[in-house]
Amino acid sequence: MSENIKNWLLFILTVAVVILLSYLANSIINRKAESQFAYTPQIEIGAHEPRNVVWGKNFPRQYESFMRTRDTSFATYLNGSKLRDALGEDPRLVVLWAGYGFSKDYNQPRGHAYAIEDIHNTLRTGGPTGPGTGPMPSTCWTCKSPDVPRTMAEKGIGEFYKGKWADKGSEVVNPIGCADCHNPETMSLQISRPALVEAYENMGKDIKDATHQEMRSLVCAQCHVEYYFDKNIAGQEGVPYLTFPWKYGTTVEDMEKYYDQMEFADWTHPLSKAPMLKAQHPGYELFTTGVHSQRGVSCADCHMPYQSEGGQKFTDHHIRSPLDNVANSCQVCHREESGALINDVFQRQKKIKQTQLSLEELLIRAHIEAQKAWQLGATEAQMKSILMDIRHAQWRWDYSVASHGGTFHSPVEASRIVSTATEIAQEARVKLARLLGQLGFSGEVAYPDISTKAKAQAFIGLDMDKLNDEKETFLKDLVPVWKKEAAEREAQMPIRPVSSRE
Amino acid sequence: MRFSSLKKKLLPPPQWRRPVIILLGIGAGLAIYIAHIANVGSYLTDDPTACVNCHVMTPQFITWRHSSHREVATCNDCHVPQDNFIKKYFFKAKDGLYHSTIFTLRKEPQAIVMHEAGQEAVQSNCIRCHISQVTDPRTAAGVSNHAENRLDRTCWSCHRNVPHGRERSLSSVGFHLEPLPVATRKGSFVPAWLDAQVNHTSN
Repeated sequence: MSENIKNWLLFILTVAVVILLSYLANSIINRKAESQFAYTPQIEIGAHEPRNVVWGKNFPRQYESFMRTRDTSFATYLNGSKLRDALGEDPRLVVLWAGYGFSKDYNQPRGHAYAIEDIHNTLRTGGPTGPGTGPMPSTCWTCKSPDVPRTMAEKGIGEFYKGKWADKGSEVVNPIGCADCHNPETMSLQISRPALVEAYENMGKDIKDATHQEMRSLVCAQCHVEYYFDKNIAGQEGVPYLTFPWKYGTTVEDMEKYYDQMEFADWTHPLSKAPMLKAQHPGYELFTTGVHSQRGVSCADCHMPYQSEGGQKFTDHHIRSPLDNVANSCQVCHREESGALINDVFQRQKKIKQTQLSLEELLIRAHIEAQKAWQLGATEAQMKSILMDIRHAQWRWDYSVASHGGTFHSPVEASRIVSTATEIAQEARVKLARLLGQLGFSGEVAYPDISTKAKAQAFIGLDMDKLNDEKETFLKDLVPVWKKEAAEREAQMPIRPVSSRE
Repeated sequence: MRFSSLKKKLLPPPQWRRPVIILLGIGAGLAIYIAHIANVGSYLTDDPTACVNCHVMTPQFITWRHSSHREVATCNDCHVPQDNFIKKYFFKAKDGLYHSTIFTLRKEPQAIVMHEAGQEAVQSNCIRCHISQVTDPRTAAGVSNHAENRLDRTCWSCHRNVPHGRERSLSSVGFHLEPLPVATRKGSFVPAWLDAQVNHTSN
């Protein structure tokens, strides 16, 4: 072969190699560009987007299942998704919480999608007529909406907690949803409320060290926990700053010690004059003492199990009682009949309920016997230890009932708490019997007729007609104003399609 | 001196060296560029995100991340032989070149299934971790056809949902926004605005 031809061949070969390499580079770039569009959502979700429906455009399955929390057709032994009047089912609660908001109105919680509606409707938030009015502080909004982290980020945390509940009525309008638990860019779980981060710091822990599986419970623990409003936070004096009493730990005794040490009381009971503690809903704390938690199960594993739809596996955002969905929750691990599993749950709850109910009667008797002692001229010194016993006993009782699923999440711990509370309540009544004897009274202090909610509320002197009227006016006059202002504000918030990205 | 004569043949005459060096540089530069955009270095690791360099693996990645195996096993733990270093990287190279060829030719099927070599690797890896479950002497003694079932079938002929679920295709996932497994993203659990604002005074 002549030298000339050889050189030409070499030239053509090199050209071919370079062309192929360029093609390869081109193909790689093409396919990388494709991946920007494959599996890419339609809407750009802003940093503090509070509207669940906007997130729903990108995540229709999660959103639609979340919207099913509006379903109210399922009832369990204790809760479920129905609107249930807890005071009507157990009027004793009215007397136990006399002097405190919960004696006015207390319903079993409905689904997350009702968060705003239900806090508007409850008599506990009263009937404000405009900014600066009404019984509750702004802090009461904290767990109700993804508008909360948005407002906090815009105005500051202390500024959010400051003022009356009615002051933020037009800011907080979207029910609990996406932005409460998710990072808008990556969709990974994230904490949106300061109190949990601060509580971890107070325990000497860093929440950033949490694992993904722990986060599947911790996002719930932002709200489903015991808390109080601390008005003595340095730099935030006078502001009802939402705080978890976890400094010494999360057991009922740890928190009792914490409150006793700071001499904190939620309210003074009008009958016994005891400095009371209201347990909120220590659901997470009780859950962590139970066997499911100890085996590494998270809240989401049972309350938001994976589900499959059209071949796509995703997390069911219809957050609800697992007993409404035994197949995807319990039966993933437990190979028993659905009916048997539900029965297991109810059996535990019923047995503990029995002891809780008799404890309630003991507590009411202690309150009215203390009232009798005051009437007969008992002194502060004589009453002091009795009132502390009543405080502790009712706190522990409340801790065991207020954690809605607690008697299943951790039945042994729940019944331990009830038995320590029963012992303390009996101790208070022994002391009261002695004191009443000293004061010259030897009979039984008559147990009031509190067989219905109405009778119990009349017994503690609540003017229900007035409360109902105020609420009606509020719902008719103020709520529509809030909604209108919110709609105008949200109309200014753009919804940007991803295709408009520059 | 064969070596020097070979060298003489390959090396261009002195007056041609400069253009040849430039031409070779163009070729090498192009190759480095390709290696860079294709993220070639990531294939030497065990990081599952390397497998979604090609977006056709997204369904497999997402279904794995929604499974309990995400806590204990990466893609390579199951899909690449783990008996020794050489076998592992030979398999990776062979499988990887095959995958990239098919992907470049746009010949990937809608529903991707494992070929025989891949099945063998996965089956041995199931056994690698679950040996105590499959060789349980009580089962071996008590179940008549235990040995055949154990040796003649693949684990997933029964455990069909493990770990990717039963329906797998290029369209069987929703939107995919989260390229990294969340468990490895420490520190992202608290958004910046909250981290800056929380009350750090202990009470």
